[in-house]
Amino acid sequence: MTTAIKLGGSNVELVGLDETREPFITLLSDSAQLPAPLRGTRSYLVHEAPMPEGFGLYVLLDRDRSLLQSLPPDSNAVLIPDDYEYLADGDIVRVVPNRHSIRALYRKRSRHNAILVTERCNHYCLMCSQPPRDIDDSWIVSETLEAIPLMDRETEALTITGGEPTLLGDDLLRILRACKSWLPNTSMHILSNGRRFADAAFAARYAAIDHPDLMVGIPIYSDLSTLHDYVVQSDGAFDETIRGILNLKRHGQQVEVRVVIHKQTYARLPQLAEFLARNLLFVDHVALMGLEITGFTRINLDDLWIDPYDYQPQLRVAVELLSAYRMNVSIYNHQLCVLHPSLARFARKSISDWKNEYMPECEGCLKRDECGGFFSSAKLRYSDHIRPFSAAASQS
Amino acid sequence: MAGGDLCASRLVRLSAELFNLETIKKAAYRFTDRAAFDFSLDGDIIACEVRFNTPLPSTQADEIERAFRNEVLDQDLRRVIGEETAGVRNAILAHAFSATGLQNDE
Amino acid sequence: MPFWRMRSLRPACRMMSKFLGLDQFEADAVSGYRLLPFRFTSLDAREYVLTNSAGQVALLDRETLDRFARHQLSPSTEAYKTLKARHFLLDSDSEVALDLLALKVRTRFARLAEFTSLHMFVVSLRCEHSCPYCQVSRQSDDRTAFDMTPATADKALVMVFRSPSPAIKIEFQGGEPMLNFELVRYIVRQAEAINETERRDLQFVIATNLAMVTDEILEFCKEHEILISTSLDGPEDLHNKNRPRPGRNSYEKAVEGIQRVRDRLGRDRVSALMTTTQASLTRGREIIDEYLRLGFDGIFLRPLSPYGFAIKTKAYAAYDIDEWLDFYFDGLSYILELNRSGVSFTEHYAAVILGKMLTPFGTGYVDLRSPAGIGIAAIVYNYDGDIYASDESRMLAEMGDKTFRLGNVHEKLWEEIMTSDALLQPLEESITESAPMCSECAFEPFCGADPVFHHATQGSFLGHKPTSAFCRRNMAIFRHLITLMRDDESARSIFLRWANA
Repeated sequence: MTTAIKLGGSNVELVGLDETREPFITLLSDSAQLPAPLRGTRSYLVHEAPMPEGFGLYVLLDRDRSLLQSLPPDSNAVLIPDDYEYLADGDIVRVVPNRHSIRALYRKRSRHNAILVTERCNHYCLMCSQPPRDIDDSWIVSETLEAIPLMDRETEALTITGGEPTLLGDDLLRILRACKSWLPNTSMHILSNGRRFADAAFAARYAAIDHPDLMVGIPIYSDLSTLHDYVVQSDGAFDETIRGILNLKRHGQQVEVRVVIHKQTYARLPQLAEFLARNLLFVDHVALMGLEITGFTRINLDDLWIDPYDYQPQLRVAVELLSAYRMNVSIYNHQLCVLHPSLARFARKSISDWKNEYMPECEGCLKRDECGGFFSSAKLRYSDHIRPFSAAASQS
Repeated sequence: MAGGDLCASRLVRLSAELFNLETIKKAAYRFTDRAAFDFSLDGDIIACEVRFNTPLPSTQADEIERAFRNEVLDQDLRRVIGEETAGVRNAILAHAFSATGLQNDE
Repeated sequence: MPFWRMRSLRPACRMMSKFLGLDQFEADAVSGYRLLPFRFTSLDAREYVLTNSAGQVALLDRETLDRFARHQLSPSTEAYKTLKARHFLLDSDSEVALDLLALKVRTRFARLAEFTSLHMFVVSLRCEHSCPYCQVSRQSDDRTAFDMTPATADKALVMVFRSPSPAIKIEFQGGEPMLNFELVRYIVRQAEAINETERRDLQFVIATNLAMVTDEILEFCKEHEILISTSLDGPEDLHNKNRPRPGRNSYEKAVEGIQRVRDRLGRDRVSALMTTTQASLTRGREIIDEYLRLGFDGIFLRPLSPYGFAIKTKAYAAYDIDEWLDFYFDGLSYILELNRSGVSFTEHYAAVILGKMLTPFGTGYVDLRSPAGIGIAAIVYNYDGDIYASDESRMLAEMGDKTFRLGNVHEKLWEEIMTSDALLQPLEESITESAPMCSECAFEPFCGADPVFHHATQGSFLGHKPTSAFCRRNMAIFRHLITLMRDDESARSIFLRWANA
């Protein structure tokens, strides 16, 4: 997929569905042969008539509006904009009747499913792509616990994100235990600032889940505590985050260190690499990431924006060092043409399929498929050095 | 001093108010590959007689004296640092070798 | 208001004011800092080396060092930031440095808990070479006089597995071990049998001149994954001059043997060690070329051995080191050139030191450890059952000095050996953490105690460091490596790889 997709929105027409009905989640099916006992709790994706009877909800695209008349009698249905044509069998959506909205929570064919478990956060990062909201969204926990059993057992990977997921405390652990039970083959990744794990008892309870494939991705933005605390806008963050990492490692848990590279963090990237190699050599992965021009980044753009081409020298030194120390390193969210050639082997196609796009400058590029492309938000600001790889200029 | 350009020894005078004898002895130790040392107290001056293993031209004797004086300063600085950091050094070592704190807390 | 309507309605400008500036996070640091433990030693005319408890390095000129130590260094300086990030100072903004330093110190010393991992078995003193620098071997056909017996080997093996080390390396030495290969076979089989229950990572090495290797021997080595360590002193004329044997063809035999081992056992199953003699000192590049030519990916540029010399002439002065240092630095320079031109080739002694300088780990290399590696990292079981604290200890004994003989496998228990005064006294007296000059030396984390060397050359386990050849040599190398890393990006890059190999 090379076009960003719309995950949620309004403009949903309700058919036979009461507006006062509470928000609900539902598993989508396109199987006309689905055994009758299973139909009541699922939603049928309508593409043609006649339709199988007995489904709890029928989901039609706007362009198939004419099929409404073929609906089984007394059935509930929603008519959704054509933007959602990607919805497929095995996907899970949330419908909010009184808001006439729908949101895709989980897509079976996607490699980048993420569950946002809270919008609350105890940080306020300058470049936050999901600005925090101080609200009571504890309802998400029960919705998540309801959704997990509906997810496909073969789901490769699932990310738990926020806000700050550990603010859920033991509810987070409940979610992880549910994932272990219902999705035993799924690789779990939690994005967290790691501070809660400085609480040794919590770290122990987390470790006791004994999940077979669970990693926490924790940002460290500098070797200097002041600079890190500034980027995350919280005094004392650096110390607590590192203590959290140490506790996780004491319990043999997998930890990834994430670094978003921007104007505040690029200059000391080599020193940060040295710090990680000398102090946190045992982390399982280091992810060096490009800036996403969304959320708070837009507000702080003057303090954050630097053309990635311009920080290649620092990035090279950092990656060479981490790699010399045999640490696992990946570069995310950078276009191959902007990276120094020696770094291409560390680049990963990391942009979630629902966020990724290419620019006009990419026309005809031979490496388009290998390259991760851009965040759709990059339209606002991206490197001046984007140029296509051509046969003539091709680099090995 | 021997006649001509060769020195058999040098007398280095250091302030007993600024430096303690321990500091000076530690500095001297480093030069015992090149010289032997005699110390005496003369009022508020510690007199160090630096007797070279073999007589040296005065430029070389100057060099050793200079190096010795600098080493005394360095040793003094080490003393200051050592005093300030002794406590935290013990804390770090205790923490490093403790059975708890760096292993699973039960 | 329904939750989904609760998006922020605040205008952008008010959002901006919610972000605090960097200065507000740096405010804490202005109130001053505390020193974390560190040592300093001069590097060259312009800079000092500082090292912290974990062996991390900072370079400062004398004036900055002074300001730093006297709490006058400003937080806005690059020096301050470096010293803070590398754990030389603590300010009220962050304290996690203490946890991290403790962890790093613990990591550095972790190997101590593993205890003896290298066990050398002298299976025979007999050898058909007559190398002048060898202290131990005998030209003899008398097997009963100079061969280890199975009974002795059995007793020694019991002691081997008393060590708690998860990895055990048994190294066969001599003389020439292949002259008593039946016993090598015996020990390998017995060790493997014991290891069925012990489940250690068990490895075997044979130190051999390869002159008498047979297909049968190679087959056995292949079957039991035994590594070969052979001698290669340099080009043919140099090697043969150093290592006479009947037929005067030691070099030819070695080269042939190396090829056979590679063919039969695998490319990387044979390594080579050089012995440095006076004659080697002007031929460093040729020696390195020889190693390159024969397909080795590294060399250990060893120091001159003092043992025979010391006993014979009662002297091994520090100033003799300078010629060797020229040889070493020139060899290292040549090796760096090779690496820059794309040839991956390591100088192993530098690699050991660089591992200590650049990584949190200590080293397994016996001669650069404090407490010393004698007995507690490596141990020798001689053909007659005598136990020695190190290979050099055995050489000393052959020259009449049995200071480092710890006992005999037929007479003592393992506990008695490992707690004997013969072992504990040199360990305690030589430990660098408390030795004069060493205790305050910035290079101490990279160095080691070598009580056998100091006893042999200076008459005490501790030695006298101002006149110690060991100290002079190592300090020169430490300074050289640090200076190279400071001044040469490509050298630093190459060294990083060596340190992490």
